[in-house]
Amino acid sequence: MDFMTSIKKTSNSWQSGMAKNITFIVTKDCQLACKYCYLVGKNETERMSFDVAKKAIDYVLNNRKLFNEDSVIWDFIGGEPFLEIDLIDQICDYIKLQLFEKHHPWFNSYRFSFSTNGINYHEERIQNYIKKNHDHLSIGITIDGTEKKHDLNRVYKKTEKGSYKDVVKNIPLWLKQFPFGSTKVTISSADIPYICESVLHLFSLGIHEVNINCVFEDVWKEGDDALFEEQLMRLADKIIDDGLYEQNACSFFNDNMGKPMDCIRDNNNWCGAGKMLSVDAAGNFYPCTRFAQYSLRDKDAWIIGNINDGIDQNKLRPFLTLDRTTQSKQECIDCNVASGCAWCQGENYDAAQTHTVFERATAICKMHKARVRANNYYWNKLYRKLELEDMREQYEANKREVKSEIC
Amino acid sequence: MLQYLVILLDDTSVAYCHADNPLKKHNLIPVETLKKGIIFGMKNNLMIQYVFPDYRLPIEYHKTIESIDNVKICPINQIPDTGLDNENESDVEVANSVPEKVKANNLVLRLKFSEILTKKDEISKLFGKHYRLNICITDVENFTDEDIEKYQQLLNNWNIILLDLYKEGETPQLNILTDRMMLDKMHNCDAGVNNITLAPNGKFYLCPAFYYDEKMKVSNQMNHHKPSSDNSVGDLDNGLNIPNLHLLKLDHAPLCRNCDAYQCRRCIWLNRKLTWDNNTPSHQQCVISHIERNASRDLLNKIRGIGEFMPDIDIKEIDYLDTFDVRKEF
Repeated sequence: MDFMTSIKKTSNSWQSGMAKNITFIVTKDCQLACKYCYLVGKNETERMSFDVAKKAIDYVLNNRKLFNEDSVIWDFIGGEPFLEIDLIDQICDYIKLQLFEKHHPWFNSYRFSFSTNGINYHEERIQNYIKKNHDHLSIGITIDGTEKKHDLNRVYKKTEKGSYKDVVKNIPLWLKQFPFGSTKVTISSADIPYICESVLHLFSLGIHEVNINCVFEDVWKEGDDALFEEQLMRLADKIIDDGLYEQNACSFFNDNMGKPMDCIRDNNNWCGAGKMLSVDAAGNFYPCTRFAQYSLRDKDAWIIGNINDGIDQNKLRPFLTLDRTTQSKQECIDCNVASGCAWCQGENYDAAQTHTVFERATAICKMHKARVRANNYYWNKLYRKLELEDMREQYEANKREVKSEIC
Repeated sequence: MLQYLVILLDDTSVAYCHADNPLKKHNLIPVETLKKGIIFGMKNNLMIQYVFPDYRLPIEYHKTIESIDNVKICPINQIPDTGLDNENESDVEVANSVPEKVKANNLVLRLKFSEILTKKDEISKLFGKHYRLNICITDVENFTDEDIEKYQQLLNNWNIILLDLYKEGETPQLNILTDRMMLDKMHNCDAGVNNITLAPNGKFYLCPAFYYDEKMKVSNQMNHHKPSSDNSVGDLDNGLNIPNLHLLKLDHAPLCRNCDAYQCRRCIWLNRKLTWDNNTPSHQQCVISHIERNASRDLLNKIRGIGEFMPDIDIKEIDYLDTFDVRKEF
């Protein structure tokens, strides 16, 4: 099995998206204060207790009709989730025990998923946890690229010192344990000049899958789109000219994007809010973490229930009826390069004029269009090269589906 | 397109729909505000609907009220004293219990579901009178799936009574059973789209319930951004300002635009209250409306057994009560 086939098989889209995603907000604390972080209400006090987690698990496992998916991803998020590794270990043990005792179909079909800043990845307690649960783990370490790019945003909250050195030292250990580990890179206005060198740097560290996205918030300045396009063009040239596409994948380049979309056939919602379930330290349920109060600038939390009363199904209905066209402006519906243009339901809600999830935020528009132009260039150039080398068929056979990571 | 301007003459103006009016303290609309509201209505070709409180208005209001053609919504048995002998009649009377006597051409009967069940025989005696009867359930949120069969049975029984009236050549009008038989498209409340409410404070609201909620500080989730608990959508000085107006419309309601329970109120206040979204109805709202829709279908078919009746109306047989259960999933 070649590398790309392996990466395809171990892609993040575990169980092809058919799994239920249940997120525990175990803490709202983090060592870092990343400048682009959408979590505006982080704090050191809201830490989940085992009792709250246990009640949430009991609710989920005792309501198979509501949670009837074939598989489950138990997601742990913060803040920085590994700050609460003892609690997480206890939660995971309880989940495994309950799945076994209840003869639950998820017993053989579950994963524990983490997105971590990687700072304390090497610590003994965390390593013990990883050894104990390795075969059911998905762990992504967030590293933004070069030291300069990373430290531009990802700084310690107390000292404002960059965190790159403390993260990068753990990358070899992580890749040894998870050879197909992917990272998530976030781009804000100030990061644009460093995109190309950062992606190449991540490839050079041995991270072969780089999921990267522009923030959805309205942060973009005049001219950012041109700079962004230039960076992506440069990156495209490097990936193709140096043959990096054989071993690596960057989610910025996706040959399914930048096409018009049919109002009927292509009317799906981008985001999975409402199909997921998130629970916080207070025991409240949310349609996704982005609807918890610590994620919202201007709006009240969208609580859909709690561990004692369960989910209020009425509160989920708006999310489960959302489609693309209903929440989009006419300009978006008519857009010739609409496919691949993403949105975050939580940001839509936070930025909306009214209390609604049906008003799509479009701050990302010009960045998407710039991305489409560079993306078209990438695929035209790559396919021509492959055709001239008589390699296109082989490439197509092994090409992995690039997951557009947005959260 | 806006067609109606509802003017609450007082904070204690009668509640005539799903939401109760919790305001107990009189707060009469200033006469100057009333005049400006009327002019706003005239400039925008809006039919004025006055909502009266349960006390007589001061004499200086009489002339102003009658300065424009209007509809009067009043508490039952309250004479809307406007000083003009031939205008002292309400068009819509609102009752919170089964009334003995109704003068107006329209009666709104507001009851809890349990009250409707216990008073079903008294209510049925109101059928086929000189007035149209609108029954309004005031505790939709408490309707459970255990109530489905009870409501179906109730409407079946009422259908028998209505059918007898049709056989006698009468044309009774009961919103929950006869409206759907006459409709070939949605005919809903359309608050904010078809009608707007002017409150005594000179501000516009999507409907009276949003004004009540603002006064009672029920929630700041009703409109606009978090720092504001203001539910208003404009005022007389600056005009209407309805953010996301398109999201109040049928074509932006994913469930309702594919639904044929055309008689449903599609109450956006209830939507907000129960689902937190303007345009997404609750399970309860959908189930109640579909029970009514199906009962209307039965009534229509029975009437057609007597003779030709509304030949262009086709209400299909369906096997669900909540459009959500048959939504297109993406």
